[in-house]
Amino acid sequence: MTKLTTTLAALLLLGTSPVAAETTVRYMTFSAAPDYLDELDATIAAFEAAHPDIDVSYETASFNDYFTKLQTVIAAGQAPDAFELNYENFVSFASKGALADLGPLMAADSGFSTAIYNPTALAAFSQAGKQYGLVESFSNVVLFYNKDLFDKAGVAYPSADWTWKEELEAAQKLTDAASGAWGSFAPIQFWEFYKTIAQNGGAMFNADKTEVTLDSPANVEALQWMVDKVARYRVTPSDAEMAGQGDGDLFKAGRIAMLRTGIWMFGDFSANAKFNWDIALEPGNTAKAHHFFANGVAVSANSANQQAAYEWLKFLTSSKEAVEIRIKAGWELPAVTDASYVQGYLDQPAPESREVVFQALDTAVTPPVINNWNQLTDIVGKELEAAKLGQKTPQQALSDAAAAVRPIL
Amino acid sequence: MARPALRPADVATYAVLAAGALVMLLPFVWMVSTSFKTGEATFVTPPQFIPANPTTDNYARVFSTVPMGQFFVNSLFVSVTSTALMVLNCAMAGYAFARIRFPGREILFYAYLATLMIPQQVTLVPLFALMTWLGWGNTYQALILPASFGAFGTFLLRQFFLRLPREVEEAAFIDGAGYVRIFFSIGLQLARPALATLAVFAFMASWNSFLWPLIITSNQSMMTLPVGLSFLNGRYATDWNVLMAGAVIGTLPILAVYVFAQKYIIQGLATTGLK
Amino acid sequence: MEAVSGRGRLIAVLVLVGPSLVGMTAFYILPVLSSLVVSFAKWDLLSPIRWIGLANYANALADPAVQQALGNTVTFIAGYLPTVVALGLGLALLLNRRLKGRTFFRAVYFVPVVTSWVAVSLIWKWLLNPQYGLVNYALSLIGIQGPGWLFDPAWAMAGVVLTSVWKDVGFVTVIYLAGLQDIPESLGEAAALDGATTWQKFRFVIFPMLAPTTIFVTTISLISSFQVFDQVFIMTGGGPVGATTTMVQLIYRNAFSYSAMGYASAISWILFALIFTVTLVQNLLQKRLDRSDG
Repeated sequence: MTKLTTTLAALLLLGTSPVAAETTVRYMTFSAAPDYLDELDATIAAFEAAHPDIDVSYETASFNDYFTKLQTVIAAGQAPDAFELNYENFVSFASKGALADLGPLMAADSGFSTAIYNPTALAAFSQAGKQYGLVESFSNVVLFYNKDLFDKAGVAYPSADWTWKEELEAAQKLTDAASGAWGSFAPIQFWEFYKTIAQNGGAMFNADKTEVTLDSPANVEALQWMVDKVARYRVTPSDAEMAGQGDGDLFKAGRIAMLRTGIWMFGDFSANAKFNWDIALEPGNTAKAHHFFANGVAVSANSANQQAAYEWLKFLTSSKEAVEIRIKAGWELPAVTDASYVQGYLDQPAPESREVVFQALDTAVTPPVINNWNQLTDIVGKELEAAKLGQKTPQQALSDAAAAVRPIL
Repeated sequence: MARPALRPADVATYAVLAAGALVMLLPFVWMVSTSFKTGEATFVTPPQFIPANPTTDNYARVFSTVPMGQFFVNSLFVSVTSTALMVLNCAMAGYAFARIRFPGREILFYAYLATLMIPQQVTLVPLFALMTWLGWGNTYQALILPASFGAFGTFLLRQFFLRLPREVEEAAFIDGAGYVRIFFSIGLQLARPALATLAVFAFMASWNSFLWPLIITSNQSMMTLPVGLSFLNGRYATDWNVLMAGAVIGTLPILAVYVFAQKYIIQGLATTGLK
Repeated sequence: MEAVSGRGRLIAVLVLVGPSLVGMTAFYILPVLSSLVVSFAKWDLLSPIRWIGLANYANALADPAVQQALGNTVTFIAGYLPTVVALGLGLALLLNRRLKGRTFFRAVYFVPVVTSWVAVSLIWKWLLNPQYGLVNYALSLIGIQGPGWLFDPAWAMAGVVLTSVWKDVGFVTVIYLAGLQDIPESLGEAAALDGATTWQKFRFVIFPMLAPTTIFVTTISLISSFQVFDQVFIMTGGGPVGATTTMVQLIYRNAFSYSAMGYASAISWILFALIFTVTLVQNLLQKRLDRSDG
C-alpha cells in the first residue's frame, strides 16, 4: 500500500471509530515524517490493539518547521497530549514548565521498570530530579570510511588508537585531486565544533555553565585544525568545492575516504554505496569524544489525558513491537538495554563493525545546552562560518563568539 | 502594398526581448531537465540540457515521500474558493468605501491599510489561537477564510470605483434603486476588469501561501503544495533531482492554467487602470 | 447621490461592508492589535506572559542584530527596487511598440510571477550553484569566473536580489503597460514633430506622464520588499555569516527559534513605523505631483 492510501485509510478509521468511551491522545512528531509514517501507523495499530480504550491521532512536521508549529500550538492553548522533543529543546521546554512530571505516573505503574532504558539516555530527559520525558531513540556520529579507497592508496584502515595526526597523514595520502577524491570530511559548524573541542580537552563552558570558555587555547587550536584541513592541508573540500552536494552524496560517489557522520546514514549507504565501507571510532587529539543525540517524548503539562498519553509513550519507546518495527526500518536506534532487542540491530549486514556504535557511547558528549540554546547555536555558528570562510582567524572568531554569548548565558 | 522591411530599431527590440525571454524561460527548462536526471548526470560540467539517461525515479520518490496529488487538490480547492470570496468581499467593501459616506469610514479604511504593514509572522499566534477557539484547526475554512479578506484588494477596488464616473448609477438612483441593488446590478458589471486583476493577485497569494498552511494544518490530508515542497526541502536538502521534480509538480499546474488564461489575465491587468 | 435616506445608507453599509469588516477584524485587525499588546511583554510562548513596558523597544533599538538586519534589508531594497522598476519600465516601453508577437513576450515575462516563491527559491538555489549551476556556467562561456553566490557573504544578497528581480519584473512590466495605455499617442507625435529625439520624448513627455504609475509601483514594491522573507527563508536561511538576515527573517527567528514573541512583536512595530513613514512620504509626493498635474 502506498503511504497516501495508508494515511487515508488510517484517517478513515479514526473518523469512523466510535468515540464514546474512548480517550484520544494527540501526538506530535518530527522523526516520523515523511519517511516513517507507515511504521508510525503500524506502531499505533499495535498500541490500539493492546489498549482498545485509547485512540492515538498524530500530527507531523519536518524538523525545520516542527518547533515553530509546536510552540504556536502550545501558545494558543492547544498543546497536543504528547509530543516528541530532541534533547536540546527538551531542556528549555522542561525549564519553562511545559512538560508534565512523569514520576507519579511511573510510580503508580507497578508492572513497569525504567531499567529497560539505557540509563544515560533516560537521565538526559530528567531535570532537577524529575523525569519529564521518556527516551525514544538515540543516535551518534562515528567515522565512516571507504575501504576501497584505503586499499587503493595502500593505507591501513583507521583503528581505535588513531589520533588527529594519523588521520591527517592518511588523509593526505588518500586525497587525489585528479580523481576528485578527498581524504577526510567533517563539517565546520556548531555541533561538530563542540565535539571537536572535546577531542582536544576543551569545552564551551565551565562545569556549572556559569562562565564562557569558548576562546580557550584548546578550543582555538581545535578550530584551527578544523579550518586547516580545508585551507592548509587541502584534504577536505570547501563549501564552494562541495557545490551544494551533501557530504553523504560525495561519500556515496566514492569521493570522500573518511567521513564523520551519523549512524542514521547506514540505510542510505548500505543501499547506495557501491564499494566496501565500514565504521570506526573517531580519532581525537588529547581525548576521545563522540556525539550523542537523543530524542525523547514528553506529556504536556496541560494535557487532560496524561494517563493515556503516558501509556502511549511507554509503548512507543519500550514495547517489543515498537522496538522491532523501529529497528527493522532503521528508524533511529531505540534506547533500550535488553540485549535481545538490540541483537536484531547488530545482526544487520553492513557495516561490519556495528558494535562501534555502542563503543562510542563510552565517550559521549551531550550538547552544551543552555536556556537560550537557539541563540547560542546561531551566534557560535555564525562566527564559525566567518572562520571557515577566512573572514576571521579562529582566535578572533572565538573571542567574538565568547563576547556575544556571555550576555545570553 | 509591400510589407515594410524591419527597421533596425525593431530588430534591436526583438533581440532584447528574445534574450529576456530566454532568461525568463531557461530556469524552467533547467528545472524540468534536472528533474529527469540521475545523480551522476547532475553534477557534471558542462551541464546537460537533455539528460543522457533520463529517469522518472525522482518523481516516484516525491510521490512516495509526500502525497502531492492530495496537496494539489487541497491547494486548488483552497485557492479557488478563497479567490472567489476575496473578490466579492473586496468589491462590496471597496464600493461602499468609495461611494457611501458613513461615520468612521476614514478610520476604518486606515485600519485596513495598517494591516498590510505588519509582518504576518507575529500575527500567526493570535490567529492560530482564534482558529482553535472556533474549533477550526486543520480545516478548509481555516485555510480559506483568512485568504478571503484583505486590505490590498479593498484598496484596489476602492480606487477603481473612485475613478469610475457616476452617471450610470445616477440614473438607477432616479429609478429608486438602493446602493446594494446598484452595486450588484451595475457596479459589479463595470468593475469586471478590476475584479479580474484582483482575482489574479488573490489566487497567486493563496496558491503561494506557505507559513499559515504550515501552522494550521496538522496532517497530510489538509496540507497544500508549498508545505509539501517544504517537506521535500527538509528531507532532500541536497538532492536537486528530487527537489526539482517537486518544483515541477508544484509549478506545472499553475503554469498550465496560466497559459490557458494568460490572455484574460494580462488584459485584465492592463485595462483596470491599476496605477 | 445622497438621495438615499440615512437608514437606507446604514443598511447598505451593513450589507456591503459588514462581511468584510467581520473578516478583516477577526483575521487581521485583532491579531495585529494583539501583537501590539504582546510587544510590551516578555512571552516565550510556553510560560505565562509578563509585562515589561517599553523594554523590548529599548532593547531592539540598541540591538546590533536589528541594525544589521535593517542594513541587510536596505541593501536588498537598494539592489532590488531600482533594478526591477527600471527593467520593468524598459520592457514595458519595448512591449508597447506595435510589434508582432508582443502578446507572446508579455505572457513569457509574466510566467515567473505566477510561480510560487517556494518553487522559485528552490530553482534559483540550484541555478546559483557555484560549480554546477547554470548561471556560473553561462558566465564561464563569456570568460567570467562566477562567484560563490549563496555560499559567499559578499555575493549572497546579490543572489537573492537577482532571484527577486527575475520573479517580479513581469509584474512591474504589466503595470507599466497599463499606465502607457493612458498616454495619448498624439502627445508623442506632437513631440516628434517638434523634433524631439526618442530620449527627449521619453524624458520630457512619457516619463512624467507615467509618474502616478511609478509611484504606485514603487510604493507597493517598497512595502513588500521591507518584508522580504520567503526567498531568504528557503535560499539562505539568513546566512552565510548573517549576510542575508533581513528584518522579517530576524523577527521570525526571535518569535519561533528564540521563543521571544514579545521582542519579535516590538521589532515588527518598529518595522511598521518605518514602512508607514516611507509610505507617507510617497503619498505626499504623489499629492504634490497630482497638484502640479492639475
